[in-house]
Amino acid sequence: MALLSMHGVSKRFGAVTALQGVDFTLEAGEVHALVGENGAGKSTLMKILAGVQPPDEGHMQLGGDDVRFSSVQEAQARGVVMVYQELALVPTLSVAENLFLGRLPRFVDYGALRTRARTLLAQVDLHLDPDTEVARLSIGERQLVEIARALAREGRVLILDEPTAALASTETDRLFEIITRVKASGVSVVYISHRLEEVFRIADRVTVLRDGALVGTRTVADTNAEQVIEMMVGSSVHRYERPARVRERVVGTFEVTERDLRPVRITLHAGEIVGLAGVIGSGRERVLPCAFGLRGSARWNDAAIGSPRDAIKAGIVLVPSDRKTQGLVVGLSVEANLSLATLGRLQRFGFMRAGAVRAQSRHWIERLSLRPPDPDKAVWELSGGNQQKVVIAKALATEPEVLLLDEPTRGVDVGARAELYDVIDDLSSRGLALLLSSSDTEELLGLSDRILVFREGRVTAELQPPYDYEEVVAHVTGAHQLA
Amino acid sequence: MSLARINWRELLARFGLVLALLALVIILSAMSDRFLTQSNIINVLRQISINAIIAAGMTVVIIGRGIDLSVGSLLALTGVVGASLAVGGLPAGVAIAAALGLGLAMGVFNGAFVAYAGIAPFIVTLAGLTIFRGMALAFTDGRPVSGLPPAFMTIGYGSFLGLPVPIWIMLGFLVVTHVILRYTALGRAVYAIGGNEEAARLSGIPVRRVVLFTFAYSGLAAAIASMVLTGRLNSAQPSAGVMFELDAIAAVVVGGTSLFGGKGGVFGTLIGALIIGVINNGMNLLNVPSFYQQIVKGGVILTALLIERLVSARRT
Repeated sequence: MALLSMHGVSKRFGAVTALQGVDFTLEAGEVHALVGENGAGKSTLMKILAGVQPPDEGHMQLGGDDVRFSSVQEAQARGVVMVYQELALVPTLSVAENLFLGRLPRFVDYGALRTRARTLLAQVDLHLDPDTEVARLSIGERQLVEIARALAREGRVLILDEPTAALASTETDRLFEIITRVKASGVSVVYISHRLEEVFRIADRVTVLRDGALVGTRTVADTNAEQVIEMMVGSSVHRYERPARVRERVVGTFEVTERDLRPVRITLHAGEIVGLAGVIGSGRERVLPCAFGLRGSARWNDAAIGSPRDAIKAGIVLVPSDRKTQGLVVGLSVEANLSLATLGRLQRFGFMRAGAVRAQSRHWIERLSLRPPDPDKAVWELSGGNQQKVVIAKALATEPEVLLLDEPTRGVDVGARAELYDVIDDLSSRGLALLLSSSDTEELLGLSDRILVFREGRVTAELQPPYDYEEVVAHVTGAHQLA
Repeated sequence: MSLARINWRELLARFGLVLALLALVIILSAMSDRFLTQSNIINVLRQISINAIIAAGMTVVIIGRGIDLSVGSLLALTGVVGASLAVGGLPAGVAIAAALGLGLAMGVFNGAFVAYAGIAPFIVTLAGLTIFRGMALAFTDGRPVSGLPPAFMTIGYGSFLGLPVPIWIMLGFLVVTHVILRYTALGRAVYAIGGNEEAARLSGIPVRRVVLFTFAYSGLAAAIASMVLTGRLNSAQPSAGVMFELDAIAAVVVGGTSLFGGKGGVFGTLIGALIIGVINNGMNLLNVPSFYQQIVKGGVILTALLIERLVSARRT
């Protein structure tokens, strides 16, 4: 009799089906890995389990009782606790206060609080002063505090969502030790990860989701990485080919580095799309911000890039990963946003040239078929795909030689995605060099002329078309290490 | 959703302020026959001119998601320095230019701490508020500066084409501010930074320089307002301008500029200053005791913001 079972769980967001009739069981005292490509539904399933959102269909049993959680509090009351990717601690409060946040007595007895906190911290092998401010802890330590907090709530089911994404490898070892210890005490752990090497190290069973559906559950001892990858990838098109194109003219060479990224050199040719693959924490996500002068250090053809202004002057422009916080001024019109990166060119003696501004927005609205084709529309009124087009158009208006695309289709629906791919393809055929950083493997396979795979802060493989989907996934997830 | 309702909402959002001002004017002219006379209207415009000039500078700062609490003190400082120079024998034009330059320089001082040291504008200009006041008091030993040359009288009491000079200065400064905000690259950058500083930076906009400009502009506005006040009083007081920053902020927010930056404009600020000025004027005409006037003024500010919030909440 399983500790927990979920049957026929479905969830839709608008027209998108995130989960379709998924079954999931969890035994007492097991570590159960949940894997799948981006958008497979892992996080959605676990959010349902943790009471963050209710399912549209399906039912759950916990410890033999039918349960239905309508809030996080209800789930926690039954011992189901989720540790989030974006850590949910208050950085300005002490470790002890965080451990008992929301459950502090009306009058706080700090002596008793500290004693209880020390006991809890010892359980996760964290020996620090409970009065320490959380802001001063490393990411790994914070994660352990979160696990201790879950134990403080007498958690029976602990859900870890990509816990190692931001951890150094020594911290990962420590986390695994704690997981093993927690498991020995009878707690069940659901472990969501993109890293198969970890799955095979720590998990007892593994469940694979694909496109919101259950592919299957295997005992880790009875399976291997190839089988799991096959389950993740499915029987869809496995080989991706781009027509071979002759690329001779070198546009330039990047040299980027950062604290968590060893020096990387990338030479770009005109019309080339270089894909950057790797899980979060692999260093892949650092490359484009570095190349655009936002962090770390970067050189482009031996000239230092120290700021976005330097980069734009050198003909490099970034389409950032988060369009709402980094790409757009959502309160301003399409036209105002389109002109932001080219204010210098659109002025004469400081005055904006209204005709030139209008001409520029008309040009890009037509070129990228923005809908609605209205330059005066406020950006927040557009769909996600069209907002992304505005960000890309703003970047292109600077007439760059190199376009850096960071997760260009995040939060964009399928139809608009295909349209953006056409835009990207068209840009490369006009001679623009592109660096494409993405956590969507299919996107990388479909667009890239070559793919650089990042792991542990460096490039571990360079892949050429025709690509083998499973091979790419094996490189990205670290399953190659297992073979 | 019926078409008529959308139209109403748009209408209210776009012209609500003007309608509120008109409503006030109608009510007050019904309550007092001295209200809607030519001389009283000119009187109101002249009375609001100082606040409107400061508020125009404040509008630029607030659109860039800043705030400038130092303007009242800066008004006193630039006033006593300009007046002293003139009394000391410098030509009036040179003394005024020096005062305006001082206002600009002190604005740069504020802006540098905000833009380059990364200190919150509220704190920087709160420090400026006491520093500039202290400088004004120390410079004059706490005494007013009088015996000004006639040029200052012209600023305060002269008229041109039938309108008093302070009104012309106000209108001129409002127009210049409007043109900067609406038609220059600099102005567009201010909106972008106020709306999303990160996106502006990633677009290659020199964010720090633009933020520095907004505070410098506000300093200049305070100095211009100071010259008008000095002309009106025919002397410069080191204690002048106390709480002027609050009146200016009130005019800006009543005028529909968001304290969160990125939207608004100087036309709204003029209407905001007019609403506050008309209320003050009306209550004076109706002999409302000044203690109660303050309560009413605060109530009007809250009401205006509440209405703005309700209207904009429905739109998004």
